[in-house]
Amino acid sequence: MTADNILTVDGLSVSYGKFNAVQNVSFSVRKGEIFGLLGPNGAGKTSTLSAVEGLLKPQAGTIVVDGNDAASKPLHARASLGVQLQSTSFQNELFVIEVLQLYAGIYGVPASKNDLMATLREINLEDSAMKKFGELSGGQQQRVSLVIATIHNPRLVLLDEPTTGLDPQSRRQLWERIEAIRERGHAVLLTTHSMEEAESVCDRIAIIDHGRVIAIDTPQGMIDKHKSDPEVIAVSRRGRITLEDVFIALTGKAIRS
Amino acid sequence: METSIPKISTVLKTLLRADFTTQWRNRRAVILTLIVPVIILALWKPLVREISGPFVLSNSITLGLIATGLMGYSNAIARDRDKGIFQRLRVAPISSWSIMTSRLLVQMAMILMITTAVFVVGNSYDQVTLTPAGYAVTYLSALVGGALYLGLGQMIVGRIQNPETVNSTVRLVYFLFVMGGMLGQFYHNAEFQNAVKWSPYGTVRTILASGMEPAKWNNDSSMALLVTLGYALVCAVLGIKWFKWNTK
Repeated sequence: MTADNILTVDGLSVSYGKFNAVQNVSFSVRKGEIFGLLGPNGAGKTSTLSAVEGLLKPQAGTIVVDGNDAASKPLHARASLGVQLQSTSFQNELFVIEVLQLYAGIYGVPASKNDLMATLREINLEDSAMKKFGELSGGQQQRVSLVIATIHNPRLVLLDEPTTGLDPQSRRQLWERIEAIRERGHAVLLTTHSMEEAESVCDRIAIIDHGRVIAIDTPQGMIDKHKSDPEVIAVSRRGRITLEDVFIALTGKAIRS
Repeated sequence: METSIPKISTVLKTLLRADFTTQWRNRRAVILTLIVPVIILALWKPLVREISGPFVLSNSITLGLIATGLMGYSNAIARDRDKGIFQRLRVAPISSWSIMTSRLLVQMAMILMITTAVFVVGNSYDQVTLTPAGYAVTYLSALVGGALYLGLGQMIVGRIQNPETVNSTVRLVYFLFVMGGMLGQFYHNAEFQNAVKWSPYGTVRTILASGMEPAKWNNDSSMALLVTLGYALVCAVLGIKWFKWNTK
């Protein structure tokens, strides 16, 4: 682990019964970096993220978050993390402002109601403070979820497919918010199916398939490295090699369940 | 730089505020929990004179406790687990037990509220009055009995993942308690009555009825208390062992 790494995953393996979802996965995320985990459905992205979040106990490997070993100091590791799960849900009986109060409290953030209203104002949701989370649109829900994930100013933010189901405007706005986290010197680890997102936002990406990391590089570096591969040229469309072409060539054309 | 972990007291206070708010906004469910005990108090008024006030009140409270432990607690846990609410809480720097402690404290408050409501209606409509010691011991008995049904609820939600199946299961179990436990008391068969007496319904009803008249507490009451604690322990241990925080 180098001093620049905010997250180090080394030799991670996760199994569900006899099924090995993640096998000997290693990667690191540096300070001020947006790192993307790409892979087809069932490749092991969410399992990897769940292990980092502490929701799954890995069969092997180590996870170190901001210098804290996730196995021996789980609460310290989690305190350094901000998390937006794939399908985020909050108590439907609570108003948005109350959900913010709840998460500020459990992350130990001393925030008054006025502070939280100011936070909602920043994401143009001041008028929705007294709405239930379920009454918000998809884009509004994502904004609230991201605010909650970053309410304690974490050093590493984990985002599991954050832009799924968002319209282009909401997606662009979310990308800007993710980039703003990087500009504060913090790191982001996100999973995505969108190659456009990976190319536009991520500084480095890892492609994971069948539970194994098969490539790690910058998006452009990955394209440059594989653009002459016959498999990549064979799947390319419109004569220009894209990250999606490289991804398809590396992970295969078969549809995953 | 050392990462700061929130204090347990702050976490519990925050969780409790959210859980009590959630419970308060679910007033319809609370009212439904109270309806059956109140109906029993109204319909069984003649039995106050024929059998005893503690008999009527203890049956009423027992049904309220069953509804709280099964319909209230199990359904809420199953629904929140299915929606991923627990997963979101568990990625925060808090221990899992603090999440459950807060939930259980809210249910304990519900148990005390139901017991109080039965006392109030029992006093005003059925004219049943207890001694101060009777009220105090009944509150304690209600907490012990409530723990049994919360444990049973935990067992159901531990064994069954789907919230709709949990809902139908707890309704079926509630129905069985009403038919077998409450109405079974009037079935004139010594063996059956003995089975009801030592069932999870009967032991709780016994400790509640005995608690209302502490002077009449006898060996059967003590045995019922021990059996209730045993049921509660077994249900809680199995419920915790089987419980999974997510349904995926």
